[in-house]
Parts: sequence; C-alpha cells; structure tokens
Amino acid sequence: MSLPRDISPGTAARRSLLADLLAALVLTLLAFQLAAGIGVVGFMALLTLLALVAWIAIEAIAHGTARRRRTRRERAVRAATKRESPT
Amino acid sequence: MPTARSERRYAPIPFWRRARRILLLSAIACLIPAGVSYVGAMSEKHNVGLGVSSVEWLRQHGGNRLVSQIENWYYTLNAPEKGGPPLRSLPSVGVADTSGSGESAPKPAYRPPRVAPIIHPALPGEGVWTPAAKGAGPRPPVLLTTFRSDPEYPQLVAGVAWIDSGRTHLSYAPGLAEPPPPLPHRGPSEVPEAQRRRVIATFNGGFPLETSNAGLIYRGRVEEAMVNGIATVVEYRDGRVDIVRWHSGPQAPANVWFAKQNLPPIIYEGRLNPNLSDGPEWGETVNNAVRVWRSGLGIDRRGNLIYAAADNQTVESLAKTLQRAGAVRALELDINEDWTSFISYSRPGAAGPTNLLPEMLRPADRYLTPDERDFFAVYVRTGEKW
Repeated sequence: MSLPRDISPGTAARRSLLADLLAALVLTLLAFQLAAGIGVVGFMALLTLLALVAWIAIEAIAHGTARRRRTRRERAVRAATKRESPT
Repeated sequence: MPTARSERRYAPIPFWRRARRILLLSAIACLIPAGVSYVGAMSEKHNVGLGVSSVEWLRQHGGNRLVSQIENWYYTLNAPEKGGPPLRSLPSVGVADTSGSGESAPKPAYRPPRVAPIIHPALPGEGVWTPAAKGAGPRPPVLLTTFRSDPEYPQLVAGVAWIDSGRTHLSYAPGLAEPPPPLPHRGPSEVPEAQRRRVIATFNGGFPLETSNAGLIYRGRVEEAMVNGIATVVEYRDGRVDIVRWHSGPQAPANVWFAKQNLPPIIYEGRLNPNLSDGPEWGETVNNAVRVWRSGLGIDRRGNLIYAAADNQTVESLAKTLQRAGAVRALELDINEDWTSFISYSRPGAAGPTNLLPEMLRPADRYLTPDERDFFAVYVRTGEKW
C-alpha cells in the first residue's frame, strides 16, 4: 500500500506535520532513554525551547521589517508613478 | 494529465525549518512530564527559596553532574583573591564567660586549649573559647570561637564549636526531603517542641545520600547500605558518639542507634587524609579544591565533638582548621552557603538562637521550623544542669 501522491497542498502540509510529530516523538523517547533523569531532559528541553523561540522571534521580526520596508518602497514607487502621469 | 489540484503545488518546507519544527515539538513533549514533576515538587513544603528548590529538584532528577559542573565554573570564576587588608576584629561569638564567678565546680572542669592563632599579631579573642549559653556554669557544654584559619587568605574567618560529649547528647534529625522518602519515624524535621528546653545547638548534616554515595542507619535500621571506608558519625545505643572509618559492612550492628556517613575521613588518627587535594572521592558535588562554604565535624582525643565552618574553604583548608582546633578524626559535612549552619541557643527553650558566624546565610531559627535537610541537634543531657 502506498500513500496517494496526487494530494492538495493542505493535505501535503498535514502529512509533513504528522511526519515531523512522529520524528519529534522518537526524539523525545530517545532523550528520556539516554538522559540521566527527567530533570536533565527538562532542563535541556527548556534551553532548546528558549533558543528556538528566540530564533523564531528574531526571524519573524526580520521578516516583518523587510516586509514593511518593501511596502514602503512600493508605496513610494506608486506615488512617484502617479506624480509622473497625472492623467 | 495534471489535475487542477496538483497544479496548486505544495511548496516543500526547507530541511532546516523542518528540523527546527521537530526540535520544537520534541522540546515541548519533553517539557510536559518534566514540568508536571517540577510543579509537583515545588508545591510541596519548603523552607528555602524557589531557586534553591529548583536546583535541588534538578539534582534529584539526574542533574547532579550538570549542577556540580555549573557550580564548579561559578565558584572558580568567583574565587577570592589572596591577601587583602588585614582584619581589625573578629565577629563576637557566644556569651560573656561567667564560669569564674558564682558556683564552684566539684572538680576542675576540662576545657579545650585555646586554638593557637596562625596569623600574627592575633586579634582580640582569636581562638579563645567562649560559652555558647548563659548560665551554663563552670563547665559549659558548648564553647565557641573564631580564628583566621588560612595565612594566604587573612580575610577568612573560621567559626568553631566545641561540644562536651560528657554533658550533651547528639541527636540526628531527618529533614523534610533528606533522607528521601520513604523513611519511617521521620519526625518533625525541626527541633521537637518537647526537646526545646534542652537544646543548646543545632548544625547541618552531611551531603544528600544521592551525592555522598554513602550509607545511613537511623533508629537502628539501615536506610541506605553502609559503605566500608567512609567516615561516619555514629551514636551507639548507650549514647556514646564517635567518628569512625566504617568497617562493619552494609548492615547495622546491634549497638548502633544512628550512623551517618559522608565521604572518606578528612582527618584520621590525627593525620590529614593524604588525598585531600585530589581525586573523585569527595562526592558528586563541587570539586574538593573549589572554595565554597564548607563545614566539618571532628572529635578530639577526649571524645568531644568539634564543628567547624567557614566560607571559601577547600576540603584541605577545612581539615586543617579542624585539626588546629584539636580534632583527631573528622569528616566533611554539608557545603555551600544554603546548607551550612551552626546555631547555638543562649537560653533554655531554644531562646536566643545565634548563627556561629554572622555571614551564615540561613536564619538562626532555621531548625525551629521544618527544614529540607537532615541536621544534628545537641541537647544538654537529662540530669545535667543547663
């Protein structure tokens, strides 16, 4: 049995998320198996979470800034175009 | 033939984004059980701050090495400078010595000799024993003193207490969390109300069992298997107290009431342990050469106990302090500012509690409320006058 290949983008996104969830579960089980205790797992997970949240936040801020800059530039170009061709 | 659906192509997420998502999901999944355990532990009764409790939780849940490593870095970075301006005075300890006045003793009472100062000129009162309690008569059961214990660090002051074993009774009291449950007859984890009229001093216990890799006998029962070769505070069923190198195997001998082990002896038969400056035998905690608050308990030639504590000590400097104060056998007790306490009570009823050194972090009423960790209480023996 194979998975259907002709799928909508939404289904593809859900499938990719499910695969990532399974990978995360395996990683979690591995962490609990290998670490000396739940405290170490929690501590490391907290540090990882903080680092990833900081990364995502910085990325979002950078994207937001770039988008605002682009929008401002586009508005300026549009305004200049209007001034040049008033008819 | 391509369908309309497949024409709206799904743009695959870049590999690094998926890896990040997997890590994020995994971190959240790991934090759920850890968070449940942490919140459960923090909602239990504590008499230390959230920070200390959190570190303790981490230690108890496999993070001992991690915490010790971080502590090693921290204390190494914050190590004290050698030298510095000389001290002009020492903290005052004990109460005014009134042993020369009032009632006369039936026979000359033994008093330990003054601790010979290391740094000269000596400061007023340096090494001179002072009674811990008022109205204790010519034979005070507990004497206190302070002295500068390390010539390379003349700013450091060690606090020392001498406990007359003939007049006192040493009692071991489990804390709220140490030794860990289950423990039958844990007790109130503070000086019991009924015993407060006789309590004269209280001081910290040893390392938690998990980090000391050593044993415990409590009320004649083995709670953690005893380990041969480890320094042990023993109270026998006849009330005698000793500090020994344990050789009786993992079980409890019939004549032992309590026995608390902690690391190898730091002084044995009058000599310092030759391995004080190296080796992993000093417990799964900060390195033996790192300078932190440390405390130790020794016994002199006459069988009296000697407690010592000071900030910025290595295992070696602590052992030398105890040896100078007269200890012939000794073990290290708990370390770090959060756990090191010696409290004397100046009047019956646990009145006038005072820390041995003013720099001791924990409040002087620490053992008059339930405490996390095990401790020792010194009571005036029944029939002995306060």
